[in-house]
Amino acid sequence: MLSVEGLSVSAESVRLVREVSFAIAPGERVGLIGESGSGKSLTALALMGLLPEGVTATGTARLREHDLLGVPEGRLKRLRGRDVSMVFQEPMTALNPLMRVGAQVAEVMTLHGEPAARARERAVELLDRVRLPRPGQIARAYPHQLSGGQRQRVMLAIALANEPDLLICDEPTTALDVTVQKQMLELIAEVAPALLFITHDLAVVASICERVLVMYGGRVVETGPIREVFARPRHRYTEGLLAASRLTPRGTRLPTIQGSVPPAGRFPDGCVFRNRCPQAGPACETEPTLTGDGHAFACWHPGA
Amino acid sequence: MPSHAGTPAPDAVPDADSGLAGSPETGPLIEARDVTRVYRRPRTSLTRPGEAVHALNGVSLTVRRGERFGIVGESGSGKSTLLRLLCALDQPTSGVIRFDGQDLAGRSERRLRFLRRSLQIVFQDPMSSLDPRMRVRDLVAEPLVALGEPVGGRVADLLDEVGLPASAADRYPHQFSGGQRQRIAIARALAPRPKVLVADEPVSALDVSVRGQILNLLADLVDELGLTLVFVSHDLSVVRHVCETVAVMNGGEIVETGPVDDVWAAPRHPYTRTLLEAVPTLEDVL
Repeated sequence: MLSVEGLSVSAESVRLVREVSFAIAPGERVGLIGESGSGKSLTALALMGLLPEGVTATGTARLREHDLLGVPEGRLKRLRGRDVSMVFQEPMTALNPLMRVGAQVAEVMTLHGEPAARARERAVELLDRVRLPRPGQIARAYPHQLSGGQRQRVMLAIALANEPDLLICDEPTTALDVTVQKQMLELIAEVAPALLFITHDLAVVASICERVLVMYGGRVVETGPIREVFARPRHRYTEGLLAASRLTPRGTRLPTIQGSVPPAGRFPDGCVFRNRCPQAGPACETEPTLTGDGHAFACWHPGA
Repeated sequence: MPSHAGTPAPDAVPDADSGLAGSPETGPLIEARDVTRVYRRPRTSLTRPGEAVHALNGVSLTVRRGERFGIVGESGSGKSTLLRLLCALDQPTSGVIRFDGQDLAGRSERRLRFLRRSLQIVFQDPMSSLDPRMRVRDLVAEPLVALGEPVGGRVADLLDEVGLPASAADRYPHQFSGGQRQRIAIARALAPRPKVLVADEPVSALDVSVRGQILNLLADLVDELGLTLVFVSHDLSVVRHVCETVAVMNGGEIVETGPVDDVWAAPRHPYTRTLLEAVPTLEDVL
């Protein structure tokens, strides 16, 4: 349903995302994981046509029969919020503080041609669908009157309003408490038509997605079914990330990845991970390609 | 509302009441007894006062010397309020807080100097806790300067202790990554040789691959310097790795406290169980 081929994102001469390719089938939930600076959010913004000024995307991305890249803003406007929509990390900055939330949910429908009265009715139904208590009352509230979890549910209602084919969530639960996060994840899993879920939290992605893409330095370094990738990581970065995510008993050393993520444009040539990789050798000066069927990885010295 | 000022609580250590009467080397280092903090919302009516918010309700805890004490809770649980009170950045509405046997209530900033020297804080976000216009040298030396102590070669020693090169001293915070900035914040906190390090969500803003480095560093420093650690986090699994004892907070109260392994293995309070069940783990899927 969504197919992305050779997506690259650049700011002037710096390539921030390189040659990313993946596909999402209807009903599928795909996770995109990586640390800050890995290019995961830029990948999502490129698909939404929301890249900041001066940042450009090349390659192809098709959602059903619609091209998402290199098309004029007027065409994108009709797709965005209707065929593909997005939930951002911080609902307080994504919502308009001066507008009642019901009106904000209705707005995304009227923009795509729904009559105003019908949109207002549907807004309340949607607030109910994302399990907000007393949706009629919530619709008349302003964002600051709601809790973080409630605001994120409103964001989800807005994203689902036009029954999109694809929902993109960028760290939707990072700002939420764990107990609220759990409810939100269950809700997203239930209502998402097809999902691209971006997070830095491996345990979160494991609880909601079936397939995963691991990004580092603007590239997909490993991809595959989540159980397989997490049980038997092949790329040394994935291996390190998984090891670092497991908190060992008190008094023991935590496994770490040496160094830190370099700033954009400062990743090494060849394998992007080689300056932090314990296995790096001369072969790593040449860029490894993503190889493998189903479970693929780009590493010259893969783990067993 | 009972006032404990001047009268030791029944279960307090015997010589803990008077200000300077020798800090017992064996007694608890930090003690809170029945601490309450009530805030008033801004008034919305001319005739009625603003609504009272009970941020903390009868909280008691004891942190022993050398202990690694974790405080876990979600937003609104009162953990930040409690932390502010323990650091004497705010005063309780009622109840007693003692540090090293000395009552912190109603002291002027001048009479809190012993606390400022003995207790230092590392905050969650080093980008906002470090002045962007100060060089690392000055940031790390500032607590010493504020206490009127000689700086000497201490900055270089501290940077070395937290794993930063001496050349870092001449640079500004924005020139460092998140993990390195947190190292700077730790070096700064250690400058006055505190007894207690309070870490408020010190790894929550960091990437996973860096989180381990900072937690390992904290563990090393606490061991080497014989520090007492008060570690605040929303993440019980991080607290379990770092601390021996945990207090679980919810709705302005400590709902459960005890050895972290016991609380983890057999939570008694329903809220602790909810919290534990909500934490996503990799093991769930594998």
